[in-house]
Amino acid sequence: MGFDYILVIIGEVLIAIGIFCDLVASIGMLRFPNFYVRLHAATLGTIGGAVVPLIGAALVAAGSDFLGTYRWFMAGGAVITAILVLMLAPAGSHALARAAHRSGAAKVFPKIADHLEEDRGGMK
Amino acid sequence: MRTTKENLVIAISMALFVLLLSLVLAVGGLGYILPPPQVRLIASWYLRVTFNPFERLFSAMAPEGVTSIVWDFRGLDTLFETTVFYLAIIGSIAIARGVIGGHKEVDEKKLGLSLIVKSVTRISLGMILAVAASIALHGHLTPGGGFQGGASAAVAPLILLVVFSRYFIEKHGITKNTMLILRSIGLFGIGMTAFIVVIIALASGAPAFVFQNQPKTIAPTGMPFEIGGALTGGTLWFFNVFEMVAVAAGFTIIFLLLAIPEEEYKKILRLGGGEHE
Repeated sequence: MGFDYILVIIGEVLIAIGIFCDLVASIGMLRFPNFYVRLHAATLGTIGGAVVPLIGAALVAAGSDFLGTYRWFMAGGAVITAILVLMLAPAGSHALARAAHRSGAAKVFPKIADHLEEDRGGMK
Repeated sequence: MRTTKENLVIAISMALFVLLLSLVLAVGGLGYILPPPQVRLIASWYLRVTFNPFERLFSAMAPEGVTSIVWDFRGLDTLFETTVFYLAIIGSIAIARGVIGGHKEVDEKKLGLSLIVKSVTRISLGMILAVAASIALHGHLTPGGGFQGGASAAVAPLILLVVFSRYFIEKHGITKNTMLILRSIGLFGIGMTAFIVVIIALASGAPAFVFQNQPKTIAPTGMPFEIGGALTGGTLWFFNVFEMVAVAAGFTIIFLLLAIPEEEYKKILRLGGGEHE
């Protein structure tokens, strides 16, 4: 009983962290000045706002005794989804950023330094 | 650019549409009980006979109602749907005839996306295929089936196509012709499964129907619905497996044809079009 309660509390804390990350990410998506920083906000939304609360949901499900055996199905599904998102989302945003930078489709406009552009041989 | 007045007209008409639709529903334009009870009779019939050992003569003996209906109760209909799909694929192959797509000798390391994306793709590829296989192989037990499983399996070559480029996967055996062979094996399997009960019955001299699954009144031969206690749904499992192979290969052919650069098609057009491979 006590251990289940601790699991549920930790899970709820993780879900709350996820809500905070989602809120920050959505504000960033609206307020950030160019594509790359907005992409940064989007990845905050996928990792902080999806992976963390999914693990929290898994802990909540694992601690909910009244669900019976099925809570392990729910917990396992949530953990596997979290691992998949953790693996696939960064690859996707990496591919997006790389393609945008290489093709020059998105300008790095308010910039302080762009070392990748310098490495590739200066301004386009 | 739309003016404010046009936006206003669109907004008002959308609101009117929703309001009128809700009015129709509220005054009972579609009847007061949804869905109507006449539909429920046929639904309850299917629910009763989909898996019912006490009514073997009507039952498909597979717990998944959708697959039972798709491959047993209306099996011939599904066969013709499948035929339409493959005719469409044959049509697109015919359009792209003579287009080889250029077997360029290129450096594999420089093709496709970056190393990070390639590694993640390599990891997730097996998982995609496993999910597809589970959708198709459990199609007679849980929601899913051959077409859904095949469409999921076709995601794997699509991702390979995007991440590793077409030259890479054609070099590693996923070409139009191998996919055509796979697709033909799938179609041949579907055809053989449709006739398997007839073939078994012919050996013993009993009458049988084409596309028969379980025994019927005048055709006592049927497929076993379980093997060692595991439900197979008779012909349904075989239909699902062969349909998955055929659909996955068919979609892969389409993706490969779509990935051929426009230049190659233009080259063929400039030559006058008549040349065959």
